[in-house]
Amino acid sequence: MATDAPIPGGSSEILPTTPSNPIIPETPSASSNSLQPPPSSSACIYIPSYSRWFSWTEINECESRSLPEFFDSRSTSKNPRFYLYLRNSIIKQYRDDHPSKISFTDVRRTLVGDVVSIRRVFDFLDSWGLINYSGSASAKPLKWDDKESVASEPPSTVKESTKRICNGCKSVCSVACFASEKYELTLCARCYVRGNYRVGINSSEFKRVELSEESKTGWSEKETLLLLEAVMHYGDDWKKVASHVTGRTEKDCVSQFVKLPFGEQFAKDSDSEDALETFDQIKGSADPESEGRVKDGSSSPDNKRMKLTPLADASNPIMAQAAFLSALAGTKVGEAAARAAVTALSDVDHEADKNAGGDPNRQDINGNSRNDSERAVAEAKSLVEKEEKEVEGAIREIVEVEMMKIRDRIVHFEKLDMEMERSRKQLEDMKNLLFTDQLNIYFHTRRSRKAEDRAEC
Amino acid sequence: MKASGSSGWKGPVKFRMPTAENLVPIRLDIQFEGQRYKDAFTWNPSDPDNEIVLFARRTVKDLKLPPAFFTQISQSIQSQLADFRAYEGQDMYTGEKIIPIKLDLRVNQTLIKDQFLWDLNNFESDPEEFARTLCKDLGVEDPEVGPAVAFAIREQLYEIAVQSVSSARESRLSKKSRRGSDYGSASKASGLSMDLVKLFSFKSSVVRKRKDLDIYEPMVDLLTNEEVDALEAREERHAR
Repeated sequence: MATDAPIPGGSSEILPTTPSNPIIPETPSASSNSLQPPPSSSACIYIPSYSRWFSWTEINECESRSLPEFFDSRSTSKNPRFYLYLRNSIIKQYRDDHPSKISFTDVRRTLVGDVVSIRRVFDFLDSWGLINYSGSASAKPLKWDDKESVASEPPSTVKESTKRICNGCKSVCSVACFASEKYELTLCARCYVRGNYRVGINSSEFKRVELSEESKTGWSEKETLLLLEAVMHYGDDWKKVASHVTGRTEKDCVSQFVKLPFGEQFAKDSDSEDALETFDQIKGSADPESEGRVKDGSSSPDNKRMKLTPLADASNPIMAQAAFLSALAGTKVGEAAARAAVTALSDVDHEADKNAGGDPNRQDINGNSRNDSERAVAEAKSLVEKEEKEVEGAIREIVEVEMMKIRDRIVHFEKLDMEMERSRKQLEDMKNLLFTDQLNIYFHTRRSRKAEDRAEC
Repeated sequence: MKASGSSGWKGPVKFRMPTAENLVPIRLDIQFEGQRYKDAFTWNPSDPDNEIVLFARRTVKDLKLPPAFFTQISQSIQSQLADFRAYEGQDMYTGEKIIPIKLDLRVNQTLIKDQFLWDLNNFESDPEEFARTLCKDLGVEDPEVGPAVAFAIREQLYEIAVQSVSSARESRLSKKSRRGSDYGSASKASGLSMDLVKLFSFKSSVVRKRKDLDIYEPMVDLLTNEEVDALEAREERHAR
């Protein structure tokens, strides 16, 4: 249950903003094409798992969303090629200097372009952890943004307030909310996951703000005592319990009660290990310390909760909803629900098979229906095999017929060949005859001419 | 086929940098309590003004300058931007201008000397692209040279653009009404631009004369540390 140490190579949760999460060690050669030479530093360069989309030659959708000025073809020189040049040079420069961090001024001195564009790309890469990323949980993203907001004192909603209203759905935020100082928006977790915010704002602008009561106020011993009394009296009526424990909402009472050492008896999803921890801690502590300890104990379920938001920014809204609900409900409940859903689905499938098999009489008995479906499956299989055999036989016959055809044709050709040879031979013979005839004539004429000449003289 | 001298008189254009991106060259040279901060970069004037504050803060933080520099930097940037914006409403006449741009800069240990012709009328020109290609072709390894070259080009273009604004203002102020062709000659009076007609008429060839070849060839030199120190000392003496 260690939550603070990064677990290399382990989980691959994707978190929206905070970098205090387990990271996957990624060497640049794994993520880069052969365009870039591998850096000389022996250490691995870490990038957070939510930046896994990065590739040297391509531009991801989140980049075009966050930095639209390069992609809307409003100006000829602020084009994607320029963006690629800026981004790749910045990252290359950082990785050459790794592990020392690069500052914006280092970068803008070496890049050709107007400094504001460079700064935007630099901040984008910084917030996505592609540069200056250290795996430690202490590094807060966009730190200078906070300083600036404090310095210029905008009417920000980042300051502590007891109730936070979501800008998207106008409901009271609980558990966790996402705040963006830049646009002064606060969104509840549901709206954030659903992407229920203005176009032009991207998810990395938001910072997660935990709203668990423990981190803000902490339960004093007196309140815990009141809570226990109330529960003993009113049992499950949390309204009355909340009214008895002055100053706490129902939900707070429930969560605090669950977190108490013996709360595991009542809670289905056992934060039992956490509960044991808190119990040990509470056992031997004095009054002023207990608040801090309780905070520690309850901070681990917070971390757990923080870790349990996989797929929170998945594009599929159904998955996002499911992820959000499962995160809120806890692992065991989620498991049980998923299992139940799977068995229900398989039952529905069986029903469908059985209906397709054509046995409407046996609908009432579940076991019989399963046997029937199995029998139907076996019959279907044998039919399929028969078909296959027939097909094979047919193919064989076809092949034989083709072979015979070819054989016949070969025979035919051979015959023709023979005929050709015969006629060629005949031709040769005739040529020879002709030649001998010609020779004879020639000799005859010569002889007769000679005879004539002799006769004349 | 004779090329006419006053072909294509361009009407006045609203003042802007004669490049594809309307970026302003900003030069900073601030001295305070014995520390000197020199810098030069390009700025996009259409960015909101809070960017100046952000940039100044970032720079002070990254270079670990004393916090007094912050106000000085942002003020300097703002005044230069204000100057630029003051010109923006006015007209400028560019005419048929091809101007020679000269580079003579030293960045860390690299010395670049070059001269080339630039068409002021080409509002799609890109000094940044030119600088990138120049450094790549000449094999310049120091990555800081590129921005310096782009900045130098931009600065010169800016000066000439400003001059053409002032010349337009002068000619407007004068009571005489001038004809179109005269504008072209007025802008030529600055002496910088070259006469297109003379250069590209059918009598002369487009190939450059041999004596000019050396001037128009880029020269890159890598200096050793001692030479750099000597040069810097000389520059400081000149500055005083």
